[in-house]
Amino acid sequence: MEFKKILFPTKFRELAFNSLESILELKKAGLNEVVLTYIIPRDEVGFVPYGGYMKDEEERLREQARIRFESWQEAISSEGIESKIRIEVGNPVPKLLRIAEEEKVDLIIAGRKKRTVLGKVYIGSHTLELVRRSRVPILVSKYMVRFECEGDLITRVNDRIFTRPLLATDWSEPSEKALKLVSSFKGLADKVLVTHIIGVKISKGLDKSELNRIEKESKERLEEYCDRLKKDGINAEPHLFSGRSAHEIIRVAREHKASMIVMGTTGKDRFKEFWLGSVSHRVTEESELPVLLVP
Amino acid sequence: MRLGKWIAIIFLLSIFAFWVPVMATDQGVASTHDTEHGSTHGAEHAVAETGHGDVHPGSELHGHGDAGHGGHVNLGEVLKLWTCIPFACMLLSIALFPLLAPKFWHHHFGKVSAFWAACLAIPFLIAFKGVAVHEILHIILADYVPFIILLWALYTISGGILLKGTLRGTPIVNTIMILIGTVLASWMGTTGAAMLLIRPFLKANNYRKNRTFMVVFFIFLVANIGGSLTPLGDPPLFLGFLHGVDFFWTMKIMPHMLVTAGILLVVYFFLDTYHYKKEGLTSAPVEEGEKEPLKLVGTHNFIFLGGVVVSVLISGIVDWGEVNTLGIHRAVQDWARDGFLILMAILSLLTTSKRIHEDNDFSWFPIVEVAYLFIGIFITMVPCLLILKAGLKGEMGFLIAAVKEPMHYFWVTGTLSGFLDNAPTYLTFFNTALGAFYPGMPEAQAVPLLMTESSVYLKAISAGAVFFGSFSYIGNAPNFMVRSIAEEGGTPMPSFFGYILKYSLVFLFPTFVVVTLIFF
Repeated sequence: MEFKKILFPTKFRELAFNSLESILELKKAGLNEVVLTYIIPRDEVGFVPYGGYMKDEEERLREQARIRFESWQEAISSEGIESKIRIEVGNPVPKLLRIAEEEKVDLIIAGRKKRTVLGKVYIGSHTLELVRRSRVPILVSKYMVRFECEGDLITRVNDRIFTRPLLATDWSEPSEKALKLVSSFKGLADKVLVTHIIGVKISKGLDKSELNRIEKESKERLEEYCDRLKKDGINAEPHLFSGRSAHEIIRVAREHKASMIVMGTTGKDRFKEFWLGSVSHRVTEESELPVLLVP
Repeated sequence: MRLGKWIAIIFLLSIFAFWVPVMATDQGVASTHDTEHGSTHGAEHAVAETGHGDVHPGSELHGHGDAGHGGHVNLGEVLKLWTCIPFACMLLSIALFPLLAPKFWHHHFGKVSAFWAACLAIPFLIAFKGVAVHEILHIILADYVPFIILLWALYTISGGILLKGTLRGTPIVNTIMILIGTVLASWMGTTGAAMLLIRPFLKANNYRKNRTFMVVFFIFLVANIGGSLTPLGDPPLFLGFLHGVDFFWTMKIMPHMLVTAGILLVVYFFLDTYHYKKEGLTSAPVEEGEKEPLKLVGTHNFIFLGGVVVSVLISGIVDWGEVNTLGIHRAVQDWARDGFLILMAILSLLTTSKRIHEDNDFSWFPIVEVAYLFIGIFITMVPCLLILKAGLKGEMGFLIAAVKEPMHYFWVTGTLSGFLDNAPTYLTFFNTALGAFYPGMPEAQAVPLLMTESSVYLKAISAGAVFFGSFSYIGNAPNFMVRSIAEEGGTPMPSFFGYILKYSLVFLFPTFVVVTLIFF
């Protein structure tokens, strides 16, 4: 499993180019083409009340995007990577999913939302919907984030994101896929932190012997994951914890200085997520680190 | 000077304009009152009595006792003509901003609507207090809320139906598609029918060179004229229904509709055939890609559309009594209908695959726009409607005196509908007719008489509002939605004036003359 072709959608917010630059590192993991995409939201140019469609405005936005993309393309080609531009009008999320399907990309890069004083989450509704619905892996890149740590407001720049990934596994099929993906980080990652959290839901009400059995089994599996990575030439170390899964993953990633979090995701829809919750989506929303979700 | 300052100045002037004349009227009426005991109709009473909140629907204020104090004051007889200025400005904003400043309008139409609504509402509330509150609440609860709920429900449900497949836009296929849309429009609303068919229609014709006239005729028939048979078809007719016009009464416009649609469809067919041959497309074009069979998906939504039809119909038949909401008396069956429409739309949303909405390019934006603009329209039109209802005693007596014959109603309602939105225009002339034929009579009694004794006038108003809605892009809400979708898809559309000069005057005007000669 490799990232040969990636879809890089952007709204041209600040630091979007820096975010792109940090992704180009993936060349070492096989990246050879970037599809630069800008979706002009239909509501921006269409359905002018009693007016119709602002063709001129569409043209202006297209032209503006094209010029910006062309300058980005120079930086991309200087890294020896090919690129193409797609500028379309439509509803952003379905349009992006369709383009991802048409272009057969291996990875979609999603942006981050500025975390506000009132808001607690790093990703917007579009990204969350994309995360829920995408059938290809998504990297929620958070190039520059601000977060509170022990009362201090810290600004963090996530630029070398592949150096120390934390692979959070729950032994599911998507986690297995995530492991295979991380295997392609050879040459990029110094060390992979393979982590499993024995969730509260599992450990609750179990007697000590049963807990010990689960712990032993989990350690063995973690070792097995690490061995597989080592066979692929990537240094890896196991970490086992118990507690509230999302909370623990975020804590461990911070404490062990992870550069990103990699997780499998079961792709729950809005309804299921409401009732069952989704660890991967919570981590994506709340962690200050980039999160790579593998469906 | 900055725009904000101009807005503030206009706003302050409107408050001042309302306040000073009301004060003056107070004094004038007071002196009249001293000399003419018992017969005073004036703002004094309107203002004085509002404090007591003894207000009855239809803006009639009943006094509390003695003569000059016991008079039957009609706000419509007191209000000055200039109180209609915010309404005129609201409609002019809709007409001119999209032409002159489309980008500003696109991003600030809600503020413009709120501004004109505030220009009317704040001074109106200061001057007439309780009566003004009652009138504004009345138009919101009895007209705006059901109006927007119906539009939203039809828009939502029809957005869940998708016509898939490969169609080749030959003259016959195109004429049939427009005909189907014309028939559907009365049952799923002009907006619903237009949204259902415009994308397949454009897709079917994407190999044709000249597509502009096709979209224009689509607007004429599917987005307007087709909606003339039921109150579900076009917003003006639903407003008529809310004011007591029977559900099936609008079927009486069928002869008018058949003549109009018949002429336009025949003209369309010949025009399409002419272009088809001119483009050298007499033989079948080479199919690109795989041919997908025609398929209608999301068809379960027709059940919800049926639910909408039945609930609107039942609300016009049963009488479950009244309920007082914020001082406004509304029939229980009307609230039940509104609730049922919301339920139908929610069920449609829950049961329709997201993919269908996406393939339909479904967006809430157009309906949100309509909701924002119409709250402004409905609030600003309050004085205008009251004055018209007062008949010859109101300051628009000249209009009522001038508009006498059915053909006057057809052409005046129509012409204004073509350049203003047709829903408020319908309501304006509906009230003009009530004022002219049954001045001072409660609406519940007057409307049945208008449907029977003076039915030709109501037909003229209804047909005028619906048919002429197609005369310009701003006549009816679906016109701009269709235009937007066509332009986005690469079909060049005429400018505002180009549409009127090249199409409306050439095709619609003669057709409406024929309708006038036959029916009015």
